Amino acid sequence: MISLHGVSKTYNEGRPNQVTALHGIDLAIAPGVTVFMGPSGSGKTTLLSLVGCMARPTTGRITLDGEVISSLPERFLTDLRRRRFGFVFQRFNLIRGLSVLENVMLPAAPLGEERAVVEARALARLESLGLAGKARMPVEVLSGGETQRAAIARAMVNDAPVLIADEPTANLDTALTHRFLDIVAALRAEGKTVILTSHDPRIIAAAPVTAVVEMQDGTVLEVRS
Amino acid sequence: MSALNRQRALLDFTVAALARRRIKNLALVAVFATVVFLLASAMFFASSLRREAEATLAGAPDLIVQNLSLGRQAMIDAADLPKIAAIRGVATAEGRLWGYYYDRISGANYTVMVPSAADLVPPPGEVIVGEAVPRVRDFKWQGTPLFLSRHEGDLVRFDIARTLGSDVALISADLVLMNEVDFRSFFNVPAGKFTDLAVTVRNPRELSTVVEKASAALPDARFVTREDIARTYQKLFDWREGVMVALAFVAMLAFAIFAAEKATGLSAEEAREIGILKAIGWDTRDVIAMKLWEGGLVSGGAFLLGTVIAYAHVFWAGAPLFASVLKGWAVIYPDFRLTPAIDALQLGTLLLLTTLPYAAATVVPVWRTAAADPDAVMR
Repeated sequence: MISLHGVSKTYNEGRPNQVTALHGIDLAIAPGVTVFMGPSGSGKTTLLSLVGCMARPTTGRITLDGEVISSLPERFLTDLRRRRFGFVFQRFNLIRGLSVLENVMLPAAPLGEERAVVEARALARLESLGLAGKARMPVEVLSGGETQRAAIARAMVNDAPVLIADEPTANLDTALTHRFLDIVAALRAEGKTVILTSHDPRIIAAAPVTAVVEMQDGTVLEVRS
Repeated sequence: MSALNRQRALLDFTVAALARRRIKNLALVAVFATVVFLLASAMFFASSLRREAEATLAGAPDLIVQNLSLGRQAMIDAADLPKIAAIRGVATAEGRLWGYYYDRISGANYTVMVPSAADLVPPPGEVIVGEAVPRVRDFKWQGTPLFLSRHEGDLVRFDIARTLGSDVALISADLVLMNEVDFRSFFNVPAGKFTDLAVTVRNPRELSTVVEKASAALPDARFVTREDIARTYQKLFDWREGVMVALAFVAMLAFAIFAAEKATGLSAEEAREIGILKAIGWDTRDVIAMKLWEGGLVSGGAFLLGTVIAYAHVFWAGAPLFASVLKGWAVIYPDFRLTPAIDALQLGTLLLLTTLPYAAATVVPVWRTAAADPDAVMR
């Protein structure tokens, strides 16, 4: 369970271009599939960053399973990102020039595990997502859907219990969106928590989704379960 | 084991990252290696010359006594020899015959002398020459005689008994050795006259006392000790090496500007990549370790490359790039290969001076970027 208490986030504080992206958010995210929805500028991505320990709130606190994580020093936040969260970025952000397998193994590099162990785990993830045949290929040759699946494999290679994805279907067609939802359903079946941002109605209405958080202008308008 | 695996994984990624930007990195290594090559070449050259000079001086007399006339060196009387030999502490004292010969055919000056070592004294009518003499005379066949023109204008034929090896070429390149009779005859030096006197002493610590006594015995003479000659050589090389170091400094400066430009910031792609790595669980330390590996591979590789090329340039190819600046106090530049001599301390200093600033220039902007929240990469 992830909880946010009075969380706000201001960027460029004290400068002329100061902007407050979130205003006093109170929210509880239960295990399952949660979607943050709302128009551009509503604060979805900022909220996702805070939940995923990629930024700190300006005010308020965030807890993970009852433990306050928003005030932890950087190295603890890194450890949380490494072990508890997997990220799928809107543009997927695979590193060009590396193979699919090398990209998927990247989050495990700092863990100090045997290369063979990490490689076996990464290949298993790729196989479960139907990408085993492309493991040795450079990421540049992947299609849009394959790139997304490679990004998901990378996010899950450390077996993180929480998958965070920012607008994961923004650049995908209907068939690939359904394929993504199948993956989300499979992850949920594995007991993972999935947190997404989206304004795609197909996502919001999809079967695996357990909660929808509607946002606007940096505030939560409604939470539907 | 875990730390080793972590470093191996970081190194794997580093190598892949270097390969991805291979053109940029190869250019960087080329610039870096050129700077190292210039500095290392100057160092190798100077070290080797110093060692050669030291080896040469090791066989030199402790003291040279020269007669002065009107403030210039003049022939010294053989009668002065017993006065020096009689000084307590003097082991040997002998008269030397040597001088310079201007060769109008080649436009070069030869150093002509009568050797003190018996095995170097050629038979009458023959000479032993340094390796440069047949070269400047363009002798194409072994056994070609050497004709030298005397003051009177007549040509004197000398057969070449043998040519000296290149191991002491620094000072022997322009040498022509002949026996005493031939020397006196060729230069019209009367019997009882020498160019100077060579003196060895039993205890080098008593040299100053010997010089003091010799000065009293020969008030018009000049006394040159081996240390005086060594100091002169040292000054000569310090000056020449200084020229090279000044040139290399300019190259270093250019590299420093290059490194400073790199230190001012990362490219958008590099910054984005660091953001991704941080977001997927890399620590700031992991990113810095990866960049240190990268800097180490680039600067270490360039250092190795520059040093190996410098070694080949100096010791195999004879340093064609700057030999004319650094080499030779023989009048004809010797064409010889220096004996490899590497000053480990100097090389270590060069390693530190080249790799550490580069590592710092690489790591500082990375640290600044990596220490920030990875949030920006989400946008």
